[in-house]
Amino acid sequence: MFAEILFFGFAALSVLGALGLVFFRHPMNGAMSLVVTMISLAGLYALLSAKLIFALQLIVYAGAIMSLILFIIMFLNIAESDLPEEARHWIYLAGGVVIILPIGSFLIKIVKSIPGGETTIIGNGFGGVKEVGLVLFQDWLLPFEIVSILLLVALIGAVVLAGKRRTDK
Amino acid sequence: MIQDYLILSIILFCLGILGVITRRNVFTVFMSIELMLNAANLAFITFSRLHESMDGHVLALMVMAVAAAEAALALAVVILLHKHKGKLDTNVFSLLKG
Repeated sequence: MFAEILFFGFAALSVLGALGLVFFRHPMNGAMSLVVTMISLAGLYALLSAKLIFALQLIVYAGAIMSLILFIIMFLNIAESDLPEEARHWIYLAGGVVIILPIGSFLIKIVKSIPGGETTIIGNGFGGVKEVGLVLFQDWLLPFEIVSILLLVALIGAVVLAGKRRTDK
Repeated sequence: MIQDYLILSIILFCLGILGVITRRNVFTVFMSIELMLNAANLAFITFSRLHESMDGHVLALMVMAVAAAEAALALAVVILLHKHKGKLDTNVFSLLKG
């Protein structure tokens, strides 16, 4: 009972944050509402007894990635005049809702046919660091190494892109 | 109860698509992509809880690493384009149009 109240609170907060991201005009307000969504998703992971992912969501997403985005938004020093004017914003929004709504309702109809289960918190170290680490390094070792190469390539690419000087002027 | 988590994941994913196709601000489009990745993560964790196996958690870890790499590269590209064009509009970023 208590878990259901927590679930509906976190779900309402995350949907409100996502709506704020879509509807706020300034990207700083959007980033702040996305932080709300990230933190309430971390609460939902804790309700699903995914302990490691709960910690990583708070540290990596709400901590590292969002502070990087906020830093870049502050670095570019966006004024109201720099933002693109979105005069026909509402027409695009109506068209998008018309396209998205059937797909979303179809997916929800599919999901409702899945045999449901209870989401009580289970013990036995489900979702702990040790269990996830065992699966990660036994069954998923090659994808893990490929992800490390991907991170290295992204790092070098970001340094090369951001540090490039224009010499052809 | 499992269905409620999946329905929330679908709602967040649809809001992410809506943000990508309706807004013209580069940062809002980028953060909507992050929102869609988060919705996919929620679906992974929910299915992992339903089957009581750890594979969904590992996939969520992979998605987080890919999102971090994507954030680093996309923000570098945004800084570069802002330096060249001085705008944040996705319409002026059509440099590769033939």
